[in-house]
Amino acid sequence: MKNIYLVSSDGSSPKTAVALGLALKLRDGGLKVGFFKPVGPGPGDEEASLFKEVLKLDHSLDTICPCRVGPSYLSEFYAGDGERGRILQAYDEIKRNAEVVIINSPPFPYIAASVGLEAESLVSSFDALTILVTKVENDHSLDQAIYYNYHLRMRNVHVLGNIFDDVSPPLAVKIEETYRPFLEKAGYSLLGVIPARVGITSPTVAEYYEALGGELLAGQNNMGVAVEEMIIGAMTIESALNYLRRSIHKAVITGGDRADLALAALVTGTSVLILTGGLYPDPKVIAQAEERNIPVILVGYDTYTTLDKMNHVIHHIKSSDEQSLAVARLNIEKHCRWQDILTSLR
Amino acid sequence: MQHVSDLVSLFQPKTVAVAGASRNPAKIGNIIVKNLITSGFTGRIYPVNPREQEVEGLSCYPDAAGLPQPPDVAVIAVPAAQAVAVADDCARAGAKHLVVVTAGFRETGTDGLRREKELVAVCRQHGVRLLGPNCVGLMDTHTPVNASFAGSFPAKGKIAFISQSGAFVLAILDWSFSIGLGFSRFVSLGNKADLSETDMIVEAAGDEQTKVILCYIEDIAEGRRFMDAAREVSRKKPIIILKSGTSSEGARAASSHTGALAGSDIAYSTCFKQCGVIRADTMAELFDLALSFAEQTIPGGERVAIITNSGGPGIVATDRVAKNGLKMARFNTQTIDGLRRSMPPESNIYNPVDVLGDARADRYGKALDLLVSDGNVDALLLLMCPAAVTEPLETARAVIATARRHPDKPLAAAFMGGPQLASGTELLKKEGVPVFTFPEAAIRSLNGLVEYGRIMAVPVSGEPLAYAGVERDAVREIITRVRKEGRPVLLGSEAANVANAYGIAAVPTLLATTLEETVKKAGRIGYPLVLKVASPKILHKTDVGGVIAGITDEDELRKGYGAVMNQVLAHFPHNVIYGVEIQKMMPAGNELIIGATRDIQFGHLIAFGLGGIYTNLLRDVSFRLAYGLTRGDVEQMIRETKAYTLVRGYRGQEAGDLAALVDTIGRVAVLVTDFPEIADLDINPVFLYAQGLAALDVKITISTE
Repeated sequence: MKNIYLVSSDGSSPKTAVALGLALKLRDGGLKVGFFKPVGPGPGDEEASLFKEVLKLDHSLDTICPCRVGPSYLSEFYAGDGERGRILQAYDEIKRNAEVVIINSPPFPYIAASVGLEAESLVSSFDALTILVTKVENDHSLDQAIYYNYHLRMRNVHVLGNIFDDVSPPLAVKIEETYRPFLEKAGYSLLGVIPARVGITSPTVAEYYEALGGELLAGQNNMGVAVEEMIIGAMTIESALNYLRRSIHKAVITGGDRADLALAALVTGTSVLILTGGLYPDPKVIAQAEERNIPVILVGYDTYTTLDKMNHVIHHIKSSDEQSLAVARLNIEKHCRWQDILTSLR
Repeated sequence: MQHVSDLVSLFQPKTVAVAGASRNPAKIGNIIVKNLITSGFTGRIYPVNPREQEVEGLSCYPDAAGLPQPPDVAVIAVPAAQAVAVADDCARAGAKHLVVVTAGFRETGTDGLRREKELVAVCRQHGVRLLGPNCVGLMDTHTPVNASFAGSFPAKGKIAFISQSGAFVLAILDWSFSIGLGFSRFVSLGNKADLSETDMIVEAAGDEQTKVILCYIEDIAEGRRFMDAAREVSRKKPIIILKSGTSSEGARAASSHTGALAGSDIAYSTCFKQCGVIRADTMAELFDLALSFAEQTIPGGERVAIITNSGGPGIVATDRVAKNGLKMARFNTQTIDGLRRSMPPESNIYNPVDVLGDARADRYGKALDLLVSDGNVDALLLLMCPAAVTEPLETARAVIATARRHPDKPLAAAFMGGPQLASGTELLKKEGVPVFTFPEAAIRSLNGLVEYGRIMAVPVSGEPLAYAGVERDAVREIITRVRKEGRPVLLGSEAANVANAYGIAAVPTLLATTLEETVKKAGRIGYPLVLKVASPKILHKTDVGGVIAGITDEDELRKGYGAVMNQVLAHFPHNVIYGVEIQKMMPAGNELIIGATRDIQFGHLIAFGLGGIYTNLLRDVSFRLAYGLTRGDVEQMIRETKAYTLVRGYRGQEAGDLAALVDTIGRVAVLVTDFPEIADLDINPVFLYAQGLAALDVKITISTE
């Protein structure tokens, strides 16, 4: 059976969920599934840990992801052939214990090109079918997908097909009516269109708390909820309600002395209330938050710093997150041509 | 209105237990027992405390279970940690009402909130009503009973004062002695865990000793229940309310203080207006009004006569009359002849009547007699400055005599001075004639009476709005679908469909996801048309090139489609775009706005005014709450705006279709009432024509707080 090599055409694509869905579906089919990430980002790669736990892999994290290239990797080592050898050795080890391996490329296919380890240079070593995953936002996303398909073809990489990921409901229509014809006319196939789901892509309150630190004042039991948007609460209360009501699953960032805004946030579908400037809120605000089980995080930073830190938070699916695992599986089952993928692998 | 006659025994108890009663005079539990005794309470007082044998000469009981009879009222003054258990003990012993003065509940945070919930649960379980916690207590001067820890007991009077602030209760009580003001009762609401301002207003309405109901509030607990009660009570007795937190900063302070999200101040003002409540802006005004209402009759009209002994104050008072929306009375011939005959030739015999600086009491008296008998005069104001020959005491007697002879006409005085006029001022206060230091307050107090007269003159509102043929299911279906997609904002086409389902003439709007679909649907609508980007997250579509009006053919449509998409995506590259909406281009009409926004306390607030670009510039908007709205209310809210001048036909323009406008506002109110999940609805602009109207841009946000 062939392996699957997932290549992302852009850094924002939540490829992990696709890889996870494919792995779970294959495992459901009774196969022993392995996971390999030849080139990963710097230290702290949660993806390798996730797959090790979900697939119950015996390999070390260094075997699952043997080569790590952070944003300044060239200052640290020169990889070249030696690194390639290490990658292939690790792959052999993974392959030995698996009937099929899901291989995930770095967030961008060009990563490690300086040392000859970009995505397409490795694929020939893995006996794998390549699937290109693209997050679709607008027409340029299609351009990007077609460009990478073309590029891979030029590099003699056979692309089994494309998965468009994290697709908003209105774009689904345009994909069917406009993007698919363009893609197929260019000679590439569309294997799936996966709808956007908040729980899969959006960071949770716990992840923001981890990044921000600070003091958790309420809602300790509800840290797993997703945060889809961030709203700065600096407006008058009358205009605030107008804005707050237009967003759900949001983080509201405001000063601890803005009891009015905090209370408005607590009644308008807020996932987390983040109070800046180290200003403790009135106890009545905390009581309201407790009553509604909404987390309140008090941070010492100003609003700008808080927002800046929050912007760097990325959601990582956890092995214990049953709901995300179920959604990942369902995405492949329901929104991709799973049988076609399976047949091709065989 | 909910009948709360069961609260009679709260104010007229036969037995009062004091849990936490103490012999220590520094303790609240001692002060309350003393207050009960010194207030002249004739019922039985049961101190309760396991550590005391006797308090203030009364036998003390170890617990409520051991009381000889169930108390009508149990005042609880024990530490917060014991309060719930003691409340349970009292409730089990058959107490009808609990007055919990203990602090340490909701106002202190999470643990306090939990404790407060437990306290309420105990009361609910035993069918006991709860005043407080965290309150000063209550007083009734006519029972008499003082179940509070206040430092004194007020004089008997006709004013019921209900306050969310305990501090105000104490401050006003102390101040009342300095001006000789009496009260029928004082109620400190505290945290309002059970009994609220609404219960107290309803109860005061049934109290024979109370003539006017005064409230200080920071928020209203149950908006709609309050509206029901206030509508009914205000017809029987005037309700005057000082609501704090009118500014953004004040509202923030109020939120911090009460822990409740304050509704908008516009909603409060609108509620008061719709329910016949008189709103005071300051503490001074609250009590100035109270004084007038307690002692004066409601005038038959708004025409004020002013008598003064100096020109300047007369002019100041005249300015205030005009500013308050009152009218200066125009005297009848008989009055003018009489004044001419009885006043010195230099006097001004027209309103304001200047009796001159050398006026003694007899001249004031003559002028008063003439003016009070004039059928064109509804209310009188007498101004006095201390001149050499001024006779304050005798003049005050003349004023009192006139007031006694003509109880049908309110009469206020402004004795503008200090010690020189004090004798007259004191006498007027003693005899119940409202007297002020300056004319502004006097005019405001007369205006309060006139305002109440106007409220009483308006017939009881008609039938609530209802429209046949509204398609509830169609709206429900759209909202359900939008919710399912996790969107809080409806697309323009969806909002137009919602409006149409309720008979609101929204211009047909079609959503198209692709260019070809747009072209096809444009054929159905016909040219000229308007093209708008369909993206609910974009608030101001025009600002980002998301709207093109006046498209006359397919070629322009195709170009426009590309232009809109490119410009919007250039501004918001990550925004979700549903496609475009195309809408029939409508001929221009008078641009109006109709809106609805859900207030936290009172439900939907309906707005009407000048629309389009003028909305924010001129802020010509009037408001009404949708709850209980009648056709008459809608007509009145239109008349309150400058837009009404346009609607009637300004400078030769054709008049707009007023009936269609009233109908549309009414339908909006019914729509948002039927679907409370509509948080905001905005139709801007509405084009009003000579025949009918067109709702061009409908925006709807849904939420479920």
